[in-house]
Amino acid sequence: MSRNYRERLDNVLRAVQKPGRYCGGEYGQTLKDKEKVKARFAFCFPDSYEIGMSNLGIRILYGVLNREDDIWCERAYAPWPDMEEMMKKYDIPLTAAESGDPLSEFDIIGFTLQYEMCYTNVLNMLKLSGLPLRAEDRGDDMPIVIGGGPCSYNAEPVADFFDCFSIGEGEEALVEFTKLYIKMKEEGRYTKKDFLLEAAKTIGGIYVPSFYDVTYNENGTIKAYTPIYDDIPKKITKRIMKDMDKSYFPDKLVMPYIETVQDRIMLEVYRGCIRGCRFCQAGIIYRPVREKTPAVLCRQAKCLYENTGYDEISLSSLSISDYSQIQDLTTKLLEWTNENKVSLSLPSLRVDSFTKELMDKIATVRSSSLTFAPEAGTQRLRDVINKNVFEDDLMRAVNVAFDAGKTQVKLYFMNGLPTETSEDLEGIAKLATNVVNEYYRNPNRRKGKSPQVTISVACFVPKPFTPFQWETQDTLEEFEEKIEYLGDCVTDRKVRYTHHDPRTSRIEAVLARGDRRLGKALEIACEEGFRFDAWEEYFDYDKWISVIEKAGLDASFYANRRRDDDEIFPWDIIDCGVTKEFLMRERNNAYLGKTTPSCREKCSACGANTLGGERSCCPQK
Amino acid sequence: MLSPKMISDENPQNIRIKFRKVGMLRYISHLDLQRTFAKVIVRSGIPAWYTKGFNPHAKLVFALPLSIGTQSECELLDIRLSRYMSCDEVKERLNSVLTDELSVIDVYEPESKFQDIGYAKYEINIVTNGASDDMADNIRALFSKKPILMFKHTKSGEKEIDIAPLIDTLNVSYDGECDLIRLSATLSATSENYLSPEMLITAMKDSLEILSTDIMSENYTIMRTALYLADGKTEFK
Ligand code: SF4
Repeated sequence: MSRNYRERLDNVLRAVQKPGRYCGGEYGQTLKDKEKVKARFAFCFPDSYEIGMSNLGIRILYGVLNREDDIWCERAYAPWPDMEEMMKKYDIPLTAAESGDPLSEFDIIGFTLQYEMCYTNVLNMLKLSGLPLRAEDRGDDMPIVIGGGPCSYNAEPVADFFDCFSIGEGEEALVEFTKLYIKMKEEGRYTKKDFLLEAAKTIGGIYVPSFYDVTYNENGTIKAYTPIYDDIPKKITKRIMKDMDKSYFPDKLVMPYIETVQDRIMLEVYRGCIRGCRFCQAGIIYRPVREKTPAVLCRQAKCLYENTGYDEISLSSLSISDYSQIQDLTTKLLEWTNENKVSLSLPSLRVDSFTKELMDKIATVRSSSLTFAPEAGTQRLRDVINKNVFEDDLMRAVNVAFDAGKTQVKLYFMNGLPTETSEDLEGIAKLATNVVNEYYRNPNRRKGKSPQVTISVACFVPKPFTPFQWETQDTLEEFEEKIEYLGDCVTDRKVRYTHHDPRTSRIEAVLARGDRRLGKALEIACEEGFRFDAWEEYFDYDKWISVIEKAGLDASFYANRRRDDDEIFPWDIIDCGVTKEFLMRERNNAYLGKTTPSCREKCSACGANTLGGERSCCPQK
Repeated sequence: MLSPKMISDENPQNIRIKFRKVGMLRYISHLDLQRTFAKVIVRSGIPAWYTKGFNPHAKLVFALPLSIGTQSECELLDIRLSRYMSCDEVKERLNSVLTDELSVIDVYEPESKFQDIGYAKYEINIVTNGASDDMADNIRALFSKKPILMFKHTKSGEKEIDIAPLIDTLNVSYDGECDLIRLSATLSATSENYLSPEMLITAMKDSLEILSTDIMSENYTIMRTALYLADGKTEFK
C-alpha cells in the first residue's frame, strides 16, 4: 500500500515547485519498525515544510516521543497548493515524512497550533488524510487528534475538530497520553470515549472539549461551561517543566536538505519572560521564567553542533538579553565557537540591555541591520502597554550599532493599541527621524553611507490571557485611516515605512478570542478550499467575512466588542497560572499609564508561582 | 603525493570523494547539496581545511553539478585536509553521518583535474505509452540525424544549437519484460559543451509521441553512471 503512495508521490515530484519539501530522507530522522512499535504518532505542522522544520517545539517533542521504544513519532507538513492539486488529481493522501504511510493509519495525530491563521491548514490536512473533520464523526478505528501550542490556550474555534488538547508544555503530557493509549489498547479496553475520559481524569493538562457543555446568553456571550462528568477538572491547568536543566533537549536534529526559515541550532536558554508587555500573550502563558544554567546550555550547544554540523547557534528565548547569566553564557560559548567557526546570533533584542559587549559577541555583524521593538511612538503609550523602554535607551542602542558600522535599523511598532491618539502615531515617525539624526551625529558612523531606518507597523490584535483581553480592536476603517495618517507623517526620505494588512489582523482577532460557534465557519471555509491563510497570496478577506456570515456569526462581535469586566470568556476553562485578577489589575494600570516592574525587580503576584519552577524569580508559593 | 607528516594548514592535502545521490534525493538541488556537504563535513569530524578571511568555510569543489531530477552513482567532490587522515577513515566517518541515498563510494587522492572530464554516461529509463521495438527504432533514427537542432536556455536568452556532435554514443533498446525504453548515452560534459540528458528527453517529447500524456502513467528516470576523459572511453578518476 504505502510503497504505492511513495511511488505516486515520486512521480508527481517532477511537476511541483520545490520538490525537496516532500522527498524526506533527511539525516537525523528517526526510523523504526512499525510492526514493533505500539503507537504511531504523526506530528503535524500546519504550514509549509520550511516553517515547520524551523519549529523548536517540534524538534523537542519529536525527540521526547521517539526516546520511547514503543512509540514512533513521525512528521507531516501542509503540502503547498501546487502539491495539493497533484495529490487530489492522483488520489495521494497526506503521508508522514519518515515512513510515507498515510496519516489515517496512525494511532495519534498531533497538531501544533502556532498562530490562528493556520487553522484552515489543520482542517485541510485532515481532509487530505481522508478523515472526517469533526471529532464526533471519527470512530474508534480512526486516529485520535490532539492539539497543542500557544493557540490551544483558546482553541475553542477549532474545538469541534479535535478530540483533545494538551495545554502547556507537552514534554511529559504527550508521553503519558500515548502510554495510556498503549495500555488501554493492550488491555483490550480501548474505546475512544473511555480513553479520553481516563486521560482527562488522570493526565494533567488534557482538555477534552466534548466533555464540556457550553451555553450562551441571549446577547451571544458565554453563560457557562459545564463538565458532563463529575470527576473531570472544572478548569484545565497548564503543564510546565519545572526544571529546565533536567528537561529533555535534543542531542540531534532532523537535517533539512533545503533551506528552512531557522536553518541553525536553536538553543532554548530559558522559558517564560520577566517582562509583562500588556499586549503580549507569550509573556503571560509561558510564565514563570525558568532558566537553564550556562554549563548545561554549553553542553547542549556543543552536542548539537557536533551532531548537526550547523555553523550558527541562535540563542532563542522571548527576550534573550534578559537572561540573568547572558555574559557568562556568551563567554563560555565563545570559548569553543570561535575556534570552530561557529557564530552566535540573537533573535530578539531589547534596547535597554543591548550593549557593546553583547554586540561584539554575536553574529549579527554579518548582516548590516539590527532590529528593535519600541512598539509605540510615545513614552505615554509605551507606559500604557508596559513596554519599559525609553527613547534614551533606543538612542544608546542604535549608537552601539552605528559605532560598529551598521547603517540599517529596523523598528517594530503596533498601531491600534488601547488609548492611542494621533500624537502616538506622529511619535512613531518622529522616533524614526530621531534615529536618522542620531546616525549623522555619531562621529564613528560609516562614512559616506546613508542610514536606512525601516519602521514596520503591525495592527494590534487583542489576545486571550493578556491584560488587553477585554479590549476592542480598531475597525478596518480606523486601521486604514491610521495607516494612511502615519504614512503622511513619515516625510524623512531615510525612513522606510511598511505595515501589516489590517484585514488579516481582523480575522486573527476574530479567531483569537473566538468561541466554539466559529467551528461552523471554519468548516465552511474548509469546504470552500481555504488554506495557507497566513500567506498573503492565499488570504481572501471577503471570503472570510462571507463564511463567518454563513455560519450566522458577526465578525465585529469578536473583534470590535469591549468585554464587560465580569464576562465569562471561552478560555476561562483554561488555567495558565496567571490569574484573571492580575490581568484586570494590569488592564486598570494601563489606563492609569502606570507601569509594572519586571519580575526580577519585583514580584507583582500574577499567580504563576503556584505552578512551581526552578531558577525562576518567583517567590515560593 | 604528500607524506602524512607534511600535511598542515599551510600545506593541505587534496582528497577526492566519490559519492552517490540517488532515490528521492535526486530532487535536491546542487546549491542545497553544497550546503548539505558543508554540514556533513563538520559533523563527520574530518580535519577539513578552511579558507582564511572574514567568513571561513571548508573548500568544496564539485566536478559536474547534477540537475534536479537526475540521480548519480559517480559524483565527485574535492576537499582539502589540514591534517593527515587515511582515506578509509574519511570514507567511514562521512558515511557514518550520511544516509543511503547520499553516501560515499570511495575516497582517494586525485591524480587528475576536473577540467579533464570529457564525457558523462547516463542510463535513461522511460515508461511511456506504446513503448515497443518500433519506438526504440524511431528514437534511434531521431538521434542519428545530423544536425539535431534544439533550443537551449542560456544567460543571453534562447540559442539554437546542434546537439548531434555532443552525443558520443547512444544505444536504445526496448525491454519487453519491464515494458521500458532504455537509453544508454555518453554525452559531452566539458564546461563549454555540457549536454544535459534532459535535452534528449525534450527532443523525444518534441518529435515523437513520448511522455506526452499523464505524469502518473508516463515517466522517466535518469542515472549518471560514469565520467570519461576526452576520448569518451577511459574512465575519469
Ligand atoms: S509570581 Fe511574581 S515573579 Fe513569578 S511570574 Fe508572577 S509576577 Fe513574576
